[in-house]
Amino acid sequence: MNDSMSIPHLIMSASTVVQLVMLLLTVGSIVSWIVIFQRTFVMRRAKRTHLAFEERFWSGVDLNELYRETPSEQETHGAEHVFRAGFREFNRLLPKTRSPQAILDGVQRSMRVAWSREEERLNLHLVFLATVASASPYIGLFGTVWGIMGSFQSLSMAQQATLATVAPWIAEALIATAMGLFAAIPAVIFYNRLSSESSKLLGKYEDFAEEFHSILHRNLQGRGDSDAG
Amino acid sequence: MARHDSRVGYGLPTLLAVGLHVLVVVMSVITLPSREPEATSSSVVQATLVSTETTTDQALRAEEARARAAQRQADEEAAAAEAEAAAEAERQQAEEEAAQRQAEQQAEREAQQQAREQQRLEAEAEAQRRAEEAEQQARLREEQEAAVEAERQRLEQQRREAEQQREAEAAERQRQAEEARRQAEQEAEAERQRQAEREAEAERQRQAEREAEAERQRQAEREAEAERQRQEEEARRQAEQEAERQRQEEEARRQAEQEAERQRQEAARAAAEAASDIDSLIAGEQESIANARQAEQAANSFQNLVRNAVEQAWIIPAGSASGLEATLRLDLLPTGELIGATIVSSSGDGAFDRSVIQAVERASPFREMRQLPPAAQSQFRQFNLRFRPGDVR
Repeated sequence: MNDSMSIPHLIMSASTVVQLVMLLLTVGSIVSWIVIFQRTFVMRRAKRTHLAFEERFWSGVDLNELYRETPSEQETHGAEHVFRAGFREFNRLLPKTRSPQAILDGVQRSMRVAWSREEERLNLHLVFLATVASASPYIGLFGTVWGIMGSFQSLSMAQQATLATVAPWIAEALIATAMGLFAAIPAVIFYNRLSSESSKLLGKYEDFAEEFHSILHRNLQGRGDSDAG
Repeated sequence: MARHDSRVGYGLPTLLAVGLHVLVVVMSVITLPSREPEATSSSVVQATLVSTETTTDQALRAEEARARAAQRQADEEAAAAEAEAAAEAERQQAEEEAAQRQAEQQAEREAQQQAREQQRLEAEAEAQRRAEEAEQQARLREEQEAAVEAERQRLEQQRREAEQQREAEAAERQRQAEEARRQAEQEAEAERQRQAEREAEAERQRQAEREAEAERQRQAEREAEAERQRQEEEARRQAEQEAERQRQEEEARRQAEQEAERQRQEAARAAAEAASDIDSLIAGEQESIANARQAEQAANSFQNLVRNAVEQAWIIPAGSASGLEATLRLDLLPTGELIGATIVSSSGDGAFDRSVIQAVERASPFREMRQLPPAAQSQFRQFNLRFRPGDVR
């Protein structure tokens, strides 16, 4: 049409409230995209790390050797973190008590804590994505409604209401909704994708914890028999 | 497995996110404006006036009218200038003619004068010739007289010689004979008497001749005088006739001059009238330009009204293709009533064409036509409407 209907011109000529709404939505969109990228990288790395650790774990390596490979002060993630927490607890409890049940309980407890930390780490900022996804359409709609209110207020001053006099106002107001949707749609999509990936990973960690628990249980069974015998 | 870079930072994601948004903004700024018309086209009907009489052309037409007016004005000025020039030329021509006439008259006059002069000269020459003739005659006469005189003298001399001879003879004879002398004297006396008689006779004759000659000369002189008088009379008559003719010519010239003067005045009056005509034309042109501008504005509003009315009344048939376009010619009464609507260029879809005609029939009458100035009214008596449904269906 003409220059007055181009999107930058409409944004610049909007009212202050609508402009603030637009600014908020722009910031939300940018932050949500930061979260999306960061989480995507974190998930991809966690998945890769988990696959590498499982391969290493099931390669028949000695557990003590595996435990000693990484220094204790270095932070580990995922299944490795769960393994290290459980094995450290197992090694600490083993000299103190003779009851296998007490050792297994302690190991399971410490592994649950580690798993919970992993869950927190993986789901970090995903709530923000969910918030942006659910709130930004409403924020955009608020901007639109405010803009249309302003347009009708100024329309009451005009003598003759034609489509040409209303159109710029409505277009300007609708830009807020468009921006809200622009922020919300990727947030919704990536929230669903990232949360499903994180829950999948957490399920894998849980499975690993159970398997490691059964291994320790098997080892304690033999020792308990030998100790008993 | 050792991972020293296990923690994922926020620097790269921030960079990526900002880059993405900048990309989106740049794309919207660069490509969206071109796509904007389709995106924000809220008009369901795009009815446009495409008549040659529409207001879209009126600016041009006004311009053209102005140009035409200017041209006409220039033409008129040129025509006026031409007329002036023509009048000038005519005047000049008239002057030239008058001058020519004058010159002719003058030439004629001169010629006449010359003729008169010539005649006078001729007359003078004649007179001179006559005088010369007369003089010649007189000279002849004198010569004759002289001859006669000479003759006489000769005769006298002869007589004297003869006398001397006779005297000598007489003296001889006296001396020889005195007797004879007396006789001879008597004889000589007789002879002398006879001779004297003869001489007197001759003298008489000569005198008579002289008198006759004088008489003849006098007569000739009289005749010459009469001739001269007659000629003078003739010349005077001719001069009078000449004067008369000159007077007539003078009269004619004066009339011609008066005629030329009248013509010049008429030309001047005509030029003045033409100039006033041009002034009134210019004023009328300005007025018509102002009217055209007013009519243009009114026609614009009328065009919008017609378009809006037709747009609202148009029900596009469902299922018609999107690229259809039909042009309709409307014939309106000055009151705005629809006389007829005919398809000028069909869309090829009968239902679409019918819907277009129905829309115009439903939208009529266009009562606003009555408020238009007459100039715009005549333009909107017949005009075309193009129907083209927009992208919004």
